[in-house]
Amino acid sequence: MSLQLSEKHFTSAQPESAARRIVTFRVGDRTFGIDVGMVREIKGWQATTPLPHAAPHVRGVLNLRGVILAVYDLRTAIGLGTTDATATHVIVVVDVEDKTAGLLVDSVSDIVDVPVSAVRPAPDLERDEHGLIEGLVLLDTEIVALLDLAAVIRDGGDNQDKQLRVA
Amino acid sequence: MDPLAELKQTFFQECEELLGALEQKLQALDEGSRDSEDVNAAFRAIHSIKGGAGAFGCTELVGFAHVFEAALDHLRSGRVALDDAPFTLFLRCSDAVADLVSAARNDETAPVRPDLLAALEQVGQAKPAAPAAPAEPAADAPVGIAALGNLLAMVDAKMGAPAAPPAANDGWDDDEPVAAAPARKPGHDVCIKITPEADLFRRVIEPRVAIGILPAEEIVSVSCDLSQVPPLETLDVTDCHMRFTVMMRTELSADEIVSKFDFTLANEEFEVEVLPDSETAADPVPAAAPAAAAEVPQSVAADLSAILARLGPSAEVAPQPDIQPTAAPVAAPAAAAPATAAAPAVARAPARPVSNEAAARQRQAVSVRVDLDRIDRLMNLVGEIVITQSMLVECVRSLPYDVYAKTAEGILTLSRQTRELQDHVMAVRAQPVKAVFQRMPRLVRELAQTLGKEVKLVLEGENTEVDKTIIEELADPLTHMIRNSMDHGVETPEDRIAAGKNPEGTIKLIAEHRAGRIVISVTDDGRGIGRDRLLAKAKSRGLVGADEKLAPEEIDQLIFAAGLSTADAVSDISGRGVGMDVVRRNVESLGGRISVDSEPGRGCKFTLALPLTLAVLEGMVIRCGDDRYVIPIASVIETQHLANTPIEHLTFGQEVLRWRGEITPLHRLGAVMGSAGKRDENIIIIAETERGGNVGIAVDEIVGQQQVVVKSLESNYGAVAGASAATILGDGLVALILDVDSMLRVAASGTRQPAPELKLAG
Repeated sequence: MSLQLSEKHFTSAQPESAARRIVTFRVGDRTFGIDVGMVREIKGWQATTPLPHAAPHVRGVLNLRGVILAVYDLRTAIGLGTTDATATHVIVVVDVEDKTAGLLVDSVSDIVDVPVSAVRPAPDLERDEHGLIEGLVLLDTEIVALLDLAAVIRDGGDNQDKQLRVA
Repeated sequence: MDPLAELKQTFFQECEELLGALEQKLQALDEGSRDSEDVNAAFRAIHSIKGGAGAFGCTELVGFAHVFEAALDHLRSGRVALDDAPFTLFLRCSDAVADLVSAARNDETAPVRPDLLAALEQVGQAKPAAPAAPAEPAADAPVGIAALGNLLAMVDAKMGAPAAPPAANDGWDDDEPVAAAPARKPGHDVCIKITPEADLFRRVIEPRVAIGILPAEEIVSVSCDLSQVPPLETLDVTDCHMRFTVMMRTELSADEIVSKFDFTLANEEFEVEVLPDSETAADPVPAAAPAAAAEVPQSVAADLSAILARLGPSAEVAPQPDIQPTAAPVAAPAAAAPATAAAPAVARAPARPVSNEAAARQRQAVSVRVDLDRIDRLMNLVGEIVITQSMLVECVRSLPYDVYAKTAEGILTLSRQTRELQDHVMAVRAQPVKAVFQRMPRLVRELAQTLGKEVKLVLEGENTEVDKTIIEELADPLTHMIRNSMDHGVETPEDRIAAGKNPEGTIKLIAEHRAGRIVISVTDDGRGIGRDRLLAKAKSRGLVGADEKLAPEEIDQLIFAAGLSTADAVSDISGRGVGMDVVRRNVESLGGRISVDSEPGRGCKFTLALPLTLAVLEGMVIRCGDDRYVIPIASVIETQHLANTPIEHLTFGQEVLRWRGEITPLHRLGAVMGSAGKRDENIIIIAETERGGNVGIAVDEIVGQQQVVVKSLESNYGAVAGASAATILGDGLVALILDVDSMLRVAASGTRQPAPELKLAG
């Protein structure tokens, strides 16, 4: 699967007063989304260099045109194990706070405009202890979970510390 | 950025250099130099600062600089002998100017130092033997500024133009009507024609400043010729089209006047003519010839006044908008001075006696200021090229032989050129350590005052160049080291006399290149390290066993131990015990070394050795399992095969090896860094730790040795235990750059042992 950008989403004249443009991507059978403004680029999988004592979902670091950034495995972050990365996997390069990071996902599926009113707060899920989900959007037939990227990435640092302290 | 802000930026950059020069020259004079060129250079520096400050409306700075300049002028003119000059005061004033400059830069207001101003104004006044025309009493700074004030208004006032209000209390007014010919002052009439180049304003010089250099009370008239101003459509407001004619009654010789313009105007921009002292010259102002001026449209004059207002020191002294073009008659001094033909004493600016000054200016002209960001980008790009090129090298290996041979040749050339390119870019980033060194004299002066000590600071090798990454890191350690020497090293004058030494102590700060590193030493001739006290303190803190015997040199090294300070009273300067150990840690984190040599009673020498850059480092690429790492060559002492090294196992899997008769701990890199893949760990690298001990690191393979570009891990991720940074290898993959000490800490926590409080070597 590759990046499919449906024409209608780009041509939709003026998004309703308060709308969010969301990039959606898939991990396994689940769909996630982030604001399009956070996405810097989308690139194919590229081998990473593992970091010692990092959190399990920190896949490693890679070289993006001379800049070194960390890649986070979203599958691991949501507790579905480790991605067996192949050439068809995708790294979504995002800007989070003042850092650039890569998010390893299975595929990028779409760009959609969602009215802000359609975003529901994430139910207080017991499993989502890290607060990775910022909100939910019901889109056609599927539920898109909007990610709190800062939480995905911050978690890396925290775990890393924990690991060091415990180990 | 708007052009004015850009100019202002440039001005502040220049100020840094000028301040450096000012301080340096004053220092030289203070140390006994009697070179008049030093005086001139100091004067020029403060003068340029004042000029620029005026253009950017830094009123406090102008005020102070003006008084300072006046004081230095007394030296220049010989009214105050160099031997009597208060250079200590001048040095403190140069510090004050530096404060004012940085305040102006940050848009803050710095307190004008009335004490210093008052002291400055005393200079030259205490001398009873002052010549007949006493120095202009620079009563207070504001008047000084006002004196630079509205030139055009003054022109009008002198001309008796009806439109212009008299420039109230502007310090120029000598209360002597122009027409009062009978009561002539001593001296001769001089006519100065100023024909500035069009770029005058862009050189940040304003006519006001240029003319303001002349003694105000000796100026008879100033007139401005606006005939050169083009029509509005083609007028570039940053061009100077004004021509001035200044009439003076003065005792200064033509040469003296020429020298006054030295700093603002080029030789061909002015002409000084001494008029014969005849009655006809009594009314030196040309009465007629306003013809050309009359053609100048009123709006142009308004524009000009707007320019002047913008360039002017502050709004309230801006030119009046109502100047009349006709109020500025065209200068026609030739007509006014009939005797010109009779041997006119025209003094063109004399040929500059020192050609090297001209050469120096030449050199300045061919240098450019470049934003450091741009150089960083360039550096990044060169790093990328290096990577791409080594990628090519790996691709080429798979080519058939005949193609390979040719391509390889090209690539070899390319790699040589890339290397050269990298060296050149590095050279561009290199800066002389002067940038840091020149902050030190002030530190020493201020500390000397606080501590009541007399200290002379000697700087050597200020032009030694290192990469800017290192320059930035040098200031803190150097400050600490100098403070330490000032506080603990150099004794009070009484103690020094008692010890039979010169009451004035000396601290030498020397920089030099040695073996691809920069070596900086701080040497004082003080009392040296108090070994007994240091040892006692170390023992009381448990850093050294109570019965341990240490060699004198070993005791000296204790000065770098944490939490040790031998100062009896904790002082403001140092003595909180956070001095030298912090210095050592900082220096070592930069890949440098610091050492100390002390001779009791004779002094103490700290030596600092740092790499020339932090942007690239020479590294050994090693492999462990599937992962590759880079270990800085500087940390590697030796590599050897495991088979040749006897290993012994201690408890908890801790291994040690015997190496050169020492028991050296052994760590397996793969285990410490969690490398993936199968490992055989056949190679042992003996590496040096910051604490001075050695450690063995077992790895699978040594891949090679190469220069690597250091890339931050922290900017997009965070600190990684065991690694100081990362780099990109030939295949585009990232490799971690190992930090041996950090690795050891990881290893220590990994084996569930408390991090051992590593004792100091010995």
